Amino acid sequence: MQASIKRPTLIKIVCILGFIWIVFSFPSVFSPAIKKMGDWYPALFGLIVATSFISYIGVWHMKRWGVHLFIIIFFLKETLLVLVNDVNYIGIAFSFFFLFTMLRFYKRMDLNL
Amino acid sequence: MIILGLLGESISFAINSLVVNKLRTFLSLLGITIGIFAIIIVFTVVDSLEQNLRKSVQSLGDDVVFIQKWPWTFGPNYPWWKYMNRPVPEYPEMNQILSKCDGAQSAAFMISTRITVKYKSSSIENVTINCASHQYDQVKNFEIADGRYFTDIESSSGRPVAVIGDVLAKALFPNQNPIGEMVKLNGAKVMVIGVFKKEGESILGGSVDTEVLVPVNYAKSLIDIRNEDLDPQILVRAKSGISNDDLIDELTGLMRSIRKLQPRIEDNFALNQTSLISTQFDSLFGVVGIVGWVIGGFSILVGGFGIANIMFVSVKERTNIIGIQKSLGAKNYFILSQFLFEAVFLSLLGGMVGLLIVYLLTLAAGDSIGMEITLSRSNVILGFTISILIGVVSGFVPAYSASQLDPVEAIRSN
Repeated sequence: MQASIKRPTLIKIVCILGFIWIVFSFPSVFSPAIKKMGDWYPALFGLIVATSFISYIGVWHMKRWGVHLFIIIFFLKETLLVLVNDVNYIGIAFSFFFLFTMLRFYKRMDLNL
Repeated sequence: MIILGLLGESISFAINSLVVNKLRTFLSLLGITIGIFAIIIVFTVVDSLEQNLRKSVQSLGDDVVFIQKWPWTFGPNYPWWKYMNRPVPEYPEMNQILSKCDGAQSAAFMISTRITVKYKSSSIENVTINCASHQYDQVKNFEIADGRYFTDIESSSGRPVAVIGDVLAKALFPNQNPIGEMVKLNGAKVMVIGVFKKEGESILGGSVDTEVLVPVNYAKSLIDIRNEDLDPQILVRAKSGISNDDLIDELTGLMRSIRKLQPRIEDNFALNQTSLISTQFDSLFGVVGIVGWVIGGFSILVGGFGIANIMFVSVKERTNIIGIQKSLGAKNYFILSQFLFEAVFLSLLGGMVGLLIVYLLTLAAGDSIGMEITLSRSNVILGFTISILIGVVSGFVPAYSASQLDPVEAIRSN
């Protein structure tokens, strides 16, 4: 294994909360409610959940690509939610908190995969 | 180009490792197959039932209001004793509605019962006979495949003419044209002037395929049309641009004035509409969908753990190969994609088998139960989405840990 950078507690908290979100979001990808929103909506939502999971793994390992992926997914997710008129302000607030925490430790993160 | 080439190579590595361990591949994808099968079969059945219900409701007319004695809303607190003494709708009431209701495009009075239909030596018992007034063809959605509907004179004078269903026509007249032939309805001779276009089974029952339609004025000579057991009803179709709610409001006032009800007295009629049926079925389908979701969700979860487990085993098994690849210059993303593709392929393969089983079952079920069950595009997309998602989620951690291995330590491992 390559030598890993020490993970700050705040990043641990963010990642654990993120993993909890993934656990709860995963079943909703194939829930009847999501399915009713359109043929392609479960696929898009599934893509967001899977990529979010990968981004949290990256952040957990203190990798910059995790933060990049998180930012891309954040905008993709919010655009999708605006399009389906289901904006969740608490979710946005949490995402901003996650993002600021990640950016705070961004310089300490590793550039490589 | 180089990256694409490397990705292609990692895909072929992944496929190769799946082919080499055939039994392991089969056992690992079984979990996903069962999960995808469980979820998609429930969604397919629920979607097909919903589609059939909507089709049946549409054939009843979604802009038609049914004036009847009994309301269609059922529940634990159904006050049947209140409805029991209500009068049944009558033919003259329909005439008053037609002349006074501004929101009504057309209206028809209808009763139905069961009779025996005979043609020469052929006889069919318990056939539903609908006896309706002339505008019935304007309130009920049906098509005539052969022959014609009643003329105004035939309806008003009560001529012995009938339009019969496709199934009846084929059963009574297997090798001849039924138009112009005389059939006996409970012994009375009636001329067949039309055959309904085949409609297929209806989820609500009462398909025109097995029904006979005669003018209600003719039926008066055969049966008592005021008999409560015949379920007399008036069907009113709204004019285009008039909503059902507006029509119901107008009909409520009109029926109260026709029946001379005092302001404080409750309505003694029910105004039913097809949305009442679909609402009740919607809640039932919702529950079935959630049950399928929970059962399928757990199966998928187990399948996902199976794939994650097999991927960790795979990484452990090939650690020294990873070391050799890395020492020869393989990048981290090459190793990562190799294992990630393997997990996604495994999961996708399982999902495809699950979808194939559902598809084959829909073909078999369609033939045996006589109801159209189709694997919709949305369910196929959902099946593939879940498979890929499971593959990525369960395969990423093992793949990432493989990509982070130190080449020297990896080569040394047993």
